Amino acid sequence: MSRSFVSAVAIVACALTFMPRAHAEPYRPARDSEVLETLPRMSERGASPAVRALRELHARDPSNLDVAVRLAQTQISAARAAADPRLSGQAQATLAVWWTQESPPIPVLLLRAAIRQNRHEFDAAKADLERVIAQQPAQAQAWLDLASLQQATGDLAGAAHSCSQVYESTNNAIGTVCRAGVDALTGRSVEAYAALEQTVAQQRLTTQPAGVQTWALTLLAEIAERLGRNDDAERWYRQSLAVDPSDSYVLAAYADFLLDRARANDVVALIAADTAIDGLLLRRVQAERALGAPTAQAGIETLAARFDALRERGDRVHRREESRFRLALAQQPAAALELALENWAVQKEPLDARIALEAALAANRPEAAADVVRWIRASKLQDVRLAPLLQRVAAP
Amino acid sequence: MSTFRRCITGLLLMLLCATAAAHKPSDSYLSLRREPERLVGRWDIALRDLDGVLDLDRNRDDRIDWGEVRTRRDEIDRYANARLRVSNGAPCPLQVTDHAIDRHSDGAYLVLTLTAPCGADGALSVEYSALFDVDAQHRGLLKLETAGGAVLSAVLSREQPHQTFEPGGASRWQAFAGYVRDGIVHIAIGYDHILFLIALLLPAVLGRDGRTWRPVPRLSVAAATVFKIVTAFTLAHSVTLSLAALGVIQLPSRLVESVIALSVLLTAIDNVMPFLPARRWTIAFAFGLVHGFGFASVLADLELPRSALALSLVGFNVGVELGQLAIVALLIPLAYLLRRTALYQPVVLRGGSVAIGLLAAGWLAERSLDLKLMPF
Repeated sequence: MSRSFVSAVAIVACALTFMPRAHAEPYRPARDSEVLETLPRMSERGASPAVRALRELHARDPSNLDVAVRLAQTQISAARAAADPRLSGQAQATLAVWWTQESPPIPVLLLRAAIRQNRHEFDAAKADLERVIAQQPAQAQAWLDLASLQQATGDLAGAAHSCSQVYESTNNAIGTVCRAGVDALTGRSVEAYAALEQTVAQQRLTTQPAGVQTWALTLLAEIAERLGRNDDAERWYRQSLAVDPSDSYVLAAYADFLLDRARANDVVALIAADTAIDGLLLRRVQAERALGAPTAQAGIETLAARFDALRERGDRVHRREESRFRLALAQQPAAALELALENWAVQKEPLDARIALEAALAANRPEAAADVVRWIRASKLQDVRLAPLLQRVAAP
Repeated sequence: MSTFRRCITGLLLMLLCATAAAHKPSDSYLSLRREPERLVGRWDIALRDLDGVLDLDRNRDDRIDWGEVRTRRDEIDRYANARLRVSNGAPCPLQVTDHAIDRHSDGAYLVLTLTAPCGADGALSVEYSALFDVDAQHRGLLKLETAGGAVLSAVLSREQPHQTFEPGGASRWQAFAGYVRDGIVHIAIGYDHILFLIALLLPAVLGRDGRTWRPVPRLSVAAATVFKIVTAFTLAHSVTLSLAALGVIQLPSRLVESVIALSVLLTAIDNVMPFLPARRWTIAFAFGLVHGFGFASVLADLELPRSALALSLVGFNVGVELGQLAIVALLIPLAYLLRRTALYQPVVLRGGSVAIGLLAAGWLAERSLDLKLMPF
């Protein structure tokens, strides 16, 4: 007893002397050369010379549709590539003249839907896409965006229909990938996998933009993973990353695959310590923690501060990631479950189901995930990662 | 020594990591305080956002250094003045009196120190228009501390760029009630505090007789013991809560949380194999000191206004005491009724203490080694 008291006192004394203050005060840098901030590269923050030129044109005449659409397109694709919400907000500002109109021109509707989907305003995004389709029933981009929205929100029948419209109105390759994504969620994983493999093998994708290639390859990886074909999954993930090594969606999915295989070292090698993307930082910190790295604690604190900041501004876009953070890193299963269920009310992809089931089990409230279980059974989703969770949730 | 090293490594890493801007939506943080003769405050704007509107990175090296900020001070101040207006009936021009740098979770921010000659009376309206023209999802997160010490907040957006705060606003009493509620909630969801109290109080209906326990003859005896324990615990945690909240002492939360788990474990062991002093209030006092630091970290997360510190401290403490009393009111009558039954000592006291001890040992391992073992 006395010894534990003595060591406790010793630890307290040490910490008192050496711990930094929790909140640093604002300071005035001593030298002009002190670097305060490293910005994303010009191309990644919408500041490359070409984009600057577009911005100047736009500033001179904000109601020029062509210029505004080109600028907003650049900003949205940069926002996607870098997973940077600031660029999405910039795209919205670029479209300010049309933003509040009921029926703006079709190019604006498509961009507005993309921005709204990015902010999880799914109903408003869907309404925009439906407006486009009402005017141009063969608008392949609108059908494709609608399919992705429907898939994210769990309207799988709607997504299947939208994919068939893509198939009819554009080249077959994109339609095939679109359809395979939905099939794989509705009990036809094996067929979807075969169809996709064939499409990729026939080189029908090399004429497509890199985005379509990574989409198909990543989908193959995800289906293989859900089917338990881990070697295939890994091969596809690597092929996808070979096409675009910085795609944050693929990096996150591959990191999850590695975490599930207890390959934390590989995750640390995959994701840089200074990643600007919360979803990737989350996975890296999980890996650091699994390795017992002392850096994990600083990562946890950074993530907690970021989620707090998002909540303060009223954003509800990161519930899936925050739920996972609360569950895996902050040891708050009750809060994790609440977030996971709020997220499940709007998003219904396999990752959303998984976090809801895991949180319900961790919080000792399996009954809270009953709706998730029902939904998975009804949709016939096949996923070897979900099967054991489903069993534990369903068992009394 | 490893603790030192870990602290220092953590600090270094935080400094290293802090130099790259993270991807977060754009926010600025505006804190204003109404004083009798003037309005004072600070406005934190991300350097990355300022670069977007004023092109700070003049040498195009994708980095912003202090020189690139310092030499642009006039332009920055003009921008700030054009984009933020406050008035309390009469216009009330803002003045930027200083520039400094602070770090938020997503990077470096320029801190503008503000002052404006608005009195503390009348409604205060704020009109905010920074950055909306370049980033439609930008938000201004405003906190206003009224002359009465209440803190009001608002999120200013492109859709809602104005906010008017009526005089008075939330009263001191409302603010106080809010802190009382926070205190009760913290006790109610703080399993470790509840279990510590339960472990301390389970033997209160028994008297120690050497190394064994014997039921007390009258309720008054148990009540006196409970009173001493609860008072000692309260005094102790009030002292450390106040010291921590006033910034006199700050301890790392992992250490505090670990020692709290240890306190639960030791108390539970003592119920089964007595080894601590027989006068339980001394234990309650010693460990209460540590629990106070635990309460303080919750209070710190609530971001208290300096002028209302006493109010919030007292309120939060009152809430904690009310929560504690509720536990006592539930536990003690039940324990008193059951104290003579054959089940009380073997099952309730020893079984319960073993269960609490196991849970606490799990927490201790988790918190001290930074692992995740248990569901809660």
